[in-house]
Amino acid sequence: MKRTTLLTLAICTLAAALPAQQQSSGNTRTWHDNKGRELVATFRGIKDDNIFLQTTDGNVHRIALANLSAADQAAARTLKIEGLGIPMDPGVAQAAAAIDKLVLARLQKADQHPNALASDEQFIRRVYLDLAGRIPAREETVEFLTDKSDTKRARVIDKLVNSEGFTSRMFNYFGDMLRIADDANKIKYFTYEEWLKKQIAENRPWNVIVREMLSADGNMLQNGATGYLLRDKGMRLDNLSLTLTTFLGANVACAQCHDHPFAEWTQKQFYQMAAFMGATETEMPGGRRMLSGLDRQTAKQARNIMRVNTAMVTDKPDNDMTLPKDYKYEDGKPNEPVKPKLVSWGKEDARTKAYRDATDALRSHKNHEADDRDVFAKWVTSPDNPRFAMTIANRLWKVVFGVGVKEPVTDLDNPDTASNPELLRHLAAEMVRVNFDIRAFMRLLCNTETYQREAVTREIAMGEPYYFPGPILRRMTAEQAWDSCVTLAIGDKVDAFKLQRGDAYAKVMDLKLTTSSPSEVAERVQTVLSERSQLRGLFAKGANAKPGKRPARMRQMQDTEDNGEADFSKPAVMSGLMLARASELPQPERGEHFLRMFGQSDRQIADSNSDEGSIPQVMMLMNGDAQQVLQNPKSKVLSTALAEQTPDAQIQDLYISFLSRNPKPEELADARSALAGGLSPADLTWVLFNSREFIFVQ
Amino acid sequence: MKSDLLSCDPFTRRAFAEHVAKTALGVTIVPHILRGAAAAPAVDNTKLPGFGSAKRVIWMQMEGGMSHIDTLDPKKGETGGPKDPIKTKAGFDLGGFMPRLAAEQADKIAIIRSMTSKTGVHASAQYLMRTAYEQRGTIQHPTLGAWAQQLLGPSHKTLPSSVCINRNPGHGNGFFPAAFSPLPVGNPETGLQFAQFRTTPDVIDKRMALLDKVDAGFRGKFHDTNLKSYTEFYDNTLQLLKGEELKAFDLAAEPADLREKYGKSDLGQGCLLARRLIEHGIRFIEVASGGWDMHTDLDDRMADKGTALDTALAALIGDLSSRGLLESTLIVLCSEFGRTPEVTGDGGRNHYPKVFSVMLAGAGAKRGYIYGASDARGANVADKQSTIQDFHSTIGHLMGMNVDQVVMSPSNRPFTVGDKGSVLTDLLA
Repeated sequence: MKRTTLLTLAICTLAAALPAQQQSSGNTRTWHDNKGRELVATFRGIKDDNIFLQTTDGNVHRIALANLSAADQAAARTLKIEGLGIPMDPGVAQAAAAIDKLVLARLQKADQHPNALASDEQFIRRVYLDLAGRIPAREETVEFLTDKSDTKRARVIDKLVNSEGFTSRMFNYFGDMLRIADDANKIKYFTYEEWLKKQIAENRPWNVIVREMLSADGNMLQNGATGYLLRDKGMRLDNLSLTLTTFLGANVACAQCHDHPFAEWTQKQFYQMAAFMGATETEMPGGRRMLSGLDRQTAKQARNIMRVNTAMVTDKPDNDMTLPKDYKYEDGKPNEPVKPKLVSWGKEDARTKAYRDATDALRSHKNHEADDRDVFAKWVTSPDNPRFAMTIANRLWKVVFGVGVKEPVTDLDNPDTASNPELLRHLAAEMVRVNFDIRAFMRLLCNTETYQREAVTREIAMGEPYYFPGPILRRMTAEQAWDSCVTLAIGDKVDAFKLQRGDAYAKVMDLKLTTSSPSEVAERVQTVLSERSQLRGLFAKGANAKPGKRPARMRQMQDTEDNGEADFSKPAVMSGLMLARASELPQPERGEHFLRMFGQSDRQIADSNSDEGSIPQVMMLMNGDAQQVLQNPKSKVLSTALAEQTPDAQIQDLYISFLSRNPKPEELADARSALAGGLSPADLTWVLFNSREFIFVQ
Repeated sequence: MKSDLLSCDPFTRRAFAEHVAKTALGVTIVPHILRGAAAAPAVDNTKLPGFGSAKRVIWMQMEGGMSHIDTLDPKKGETGGPKDPIKTKAGFDLGGFMPRLAAEQADKIAIIRSMTSKTGVHASAQYLMRTAYEQRGTIQHPTLGAWAQQLLGPSHKTLPSSVCINRNPGHGNGFFPAAFSPLPVGNPETGLQFAQFRTTPDVIDKRMALLDKVDAGFRGKFHDTNLKSYTEFYDNTLQLLKGEELKAFDLAAEPADLREKYGKSDLGQGCLLARRLIEHGIRFIEVASGGWDMHTDLDDRMADKGTALDTALAALIGDLSSRGLLESTLIVLCSEFGRTPEVTGDGGRNHYPKVFSVMLAGAGAKRGYIYGASDARGANVADKQSTIQDFHSTIGHLMGMNVDQVVMSPSNRPFTVGDKGSVLTDLLA
C-alpha cells in the first residue's frame, strides 16, 4: 500500500466540484472529517484502524478512522463492503476504475443500468474458472468465504493470476486459437507445445512471444517456436491468412481467393502481405537427399524420422511470391511477381513509427529479401501497430466477460462498430501500457467492478449490442469442465502433474541434419530406429485413436492405488481416465474423450472450441467415465462427503464442492428427503454434476 | 479501411448477435441472393426430375481410396488387376470382386465412371468427398446430412437427423449448430456409446426428480438460449434412453440369417444398422469403412474388403427393395479417390484422384445405368467429366435441396449445397 494517496486539504474544493448526482446513497456517500471537510467517495473497507475510500477519479485514499467525524466513524462500522473491497495495488484500482467509467458511460447513454455486484460465492467460482481454469476445490472455497478481511478479493486475484493454473488456462485458450496439435503433417509438435507453455509460465510479453513465432528459424527439435509456421507447413497462404486474422483481427479470409465482398481487402493486398513470407521455406532444401546412403528398407522406416527433421524454417535469398494463376483484377496479371507492402486501416497508420521503420527496412534490404519476414514480424507486434494490442486486449476481455467488445474477435477492421469503441481503444492502450503482460492485463480486468458484477440474466435480443452491465452467462469451456472434474476427483493438487515430452522426443529424434554429413546421418538414423521403441507409451494417443476402441495404453491402465506418497511423475488414473489437466493431456484429446465430447476443438480450425450441447454429450455426462470417477468413493469429493457424520453435512459438503456455495434451506430439505428416500451421496454427485448450475458460469 | 458498410450490413450484425445472444442458428439464409448473381439462375433446378425423392440417404464411404478398376469400372488388359470383369444382366461389367452385386442388383444401380478431383491426400480428400469443399484452416463445412437439417428441418422429433457409423463425427455439422453433428456409433455391434444407465430405472427417476429441483432456481433466473437448449437436450436424451427408439440402435433385434446375409464385417453390420435407423426416421446415415489404402497385396486385401463390400451392398439393396424402401431411399457408395491403373511391384495400386467411380442406388436415380466413362486403361476421363461438387449437387437435389440456395455462415461467407456444382440431369430417372 505504498502508493495510497493520503487525504489532503484539497478535499473541500474537490467535493464542491463533484456533480450532485454521484452523491448517491449506500456505500457511495459524502464523508466528513472531524474538521468538517467533505469528500464524496465509495467505501472500500477498513483495515488496521484505517478506512479506504475511493473517489470517482479511481484514486483510493487511506484515512485514519479517528480523523472522520464521529457520525461517519459509526456509519463506517456498519457498512458492508460491496464488490472488490480494499485493492492490493492502488495503481490497478485506478486503472480498473477508468475501465468501469467507460463501461458506465456507455450504459448510461443507452439508458441501461449495471447489474448488482456479485456475491462472494459467485465471485470465487467465476474468478477461479477464469484465471485458474477450474472451479475452486472445497477447501479453497471455504477459506475464501470465511475470510473476513476486506482485501480478500484483490488477494485471491493476485494469487490466481500468478498460479500454475493460469498457465494451464491460457495454454488451453491459445491452443484453440493456434490449432495446437500433437500430430499434424505427420510430424509431432511436442517441442512447440512446451515452448509455448514455457512462454506463458515465464510471463513473457505477448508481443515478444508472437514476434518469436513469426521470425523463428530452424527446426522444431531445436527451436520450439518454429512450430507456429510449421503448423501450416507448405501452406504459407493459409498461414498468413491465420496470422492476420488471429493477431491483427484483419478479416482477410475471403481475400485469399478474391476481393473481399464487404470489407476493403483486395486480393492484391493479401498477396502483398503474403510477399513478406515469399522467401520463407518450411522444408529443408535438399534435406531428403541426406537419406541417399540408406538401403531401401531402412530409408522407408526412416521416413517419419526424416520428416520431423527436414521440417525446417529457412529463408531463401529471394521472394518468389506471385499473384495466383487465375488472378482476374485489373491491378495485376496472373503469375506476376509481388513485392511486400504493408496494409493500413487508415491514413494515420502509415505515419506510425512501426510502419515507417518497416518501409525503411524494405528499402534498405532490397537485396536481402530473406529478412522480409523479420520486418513483417516486427511491424505486426509493434506497440504502435494499430491492431495488434487491440486484438489481444479484445480477446482477453472475451475470455473473462464471455463476449468481446468487438465481435467477432477475428474482425477488428472497423473498431467503430464495436459495442463500445472508446472502451476498445482504451483497452488497447492499457495493453500497451502494461507492456503486453498478459497476467497484469487479466489482473486488471478482474479488478474492475464490471467484472465483479452479477452475470446478465435476461435474454439478449438478436442484433442488440452488449454494453457490459456485467459478464454474460457462459457455459464452461471443455477444458474448464474437465479440469473442474479433475479438481473434484483429486482436489487442489490438480496442477502437480506436468506432461513433459518435448526434450525426450527431441533428444531421440534429432538427426542434426544441418551439421552432419550423409554418413553421420545414416548412422544416427540407425540409432534413432532402435531408441525410438523406448519412446512408445510416452506419447498417449489423442485425436487419431480409432473410435470405439480405447488405445491399448488406456486399456492397460489400472486405477492408481493411493499409498500415501505423492507421485507426480505420472497422473492418477480412475475409470481409465488420466486425471491430469487438459493442458497435460494429448492435444487434442481423442474423439470420444470427455474433453472432445464437451466441445474441445479438434484443432483443425482456429477458435473452434464449442459451447453447445448435443445428445451424445448429455449421454456422456449422465453415463460416461467422468461420472464414474466422481461416484468412486476414492474420489476426493465423495470421500470427503462420506467422512461427514450427518446427511446435512454431507449435502453441504457436496454443494460447496460442486457449486462453490451452501445449499439454501429448501435445497437442503429436498436433498435430505432424497437421501432418506433411497439416494446415496454418490447419486447426489451425479445430480450436481448434471445440473445446469455446474456447467454454466454466472 | 473505410467501410461503415459493415456497420449497416445485416449479416455482420447477425453474426455479432450470434456471439452475444447465442442464437440457435447463427447462419443466415439469403432468400433473394441466389448463387453467382442477384438474378435468378437460368434453370430452376427444383423443377428437374427427382427433386426430393430421396427422403433418406445411406452414405457408404470407403476410406483409404477404393480401386475403381477392381470394383465399379473394370478393365481388361495390363491395368485389369487380379480378377476378370463380370458381365451383368444390366449390360455393363462389374469388377471381379463384385459377384453378388453383379448377379443380384446390377439393374438397380447407377455408376458415375468419370469422377475427377485434384486431391490425392487421404484426410483432405475425405473431407472434400464428405463436404464438397476444399479443407481450409478458417472454416469447417457441413456434410449433406447437416445441410438437410438446416434447409429441410430435423427428420425426427427426438432422434438426431444424422448418424455416422464406424467413425467419429468430426465436425460434420460444419458451421451449423453442434446439434447438427451426426450421432456417432463407433461400433455397430455395441450400438450407442454411453446409452446404458449404470443404475436402476428407479434410481434414475429419483435422481432426475432431485435434479429438477436442484436446477429450478438457476433455470428460472437466467433466460439464456444455450441454457434452455441444454434443458431440451436432457429431455431428449432421457426420452431416447428410456424410450422405444433406443431399440433402433440394437442389432440383436435382427434375425440371425439376415445379419449373416449382410456379412459379419463392420461394413455389413453397419449397413444393417443403417437400414434400421432409416426405418426409425433418421434421415442421413454415413457408414464408413477403412482399409482401402491398398499400396501392396491388392489381391488378398480386395478378397477381404471387396467381398465385404459386395456382400453388404447386395444385401442392403435387396433388403430395402423388398421392404419397399428403395423408392424413397438413396444409397451412395463413394471413396476419397481411386487407385492407379498400374499395379506396383508390391502388387498394390497407389492413390489416384484423376479418374474414379462412385455409385448411386434408389430414390430418383436411374437404374442399371452408367454415367460417363474412363479410358480403356482407367487412367483418364473419357466422357462426361464430373466433379465431387457435381456429385454432391445431384444428391442434394434428390434430397430436395435447392443447390442454388445461398446460406451465409456465422463468419459471413456464402455457401451452397455442392459448392456450385451441376446437377447431373442424365442421372435422374
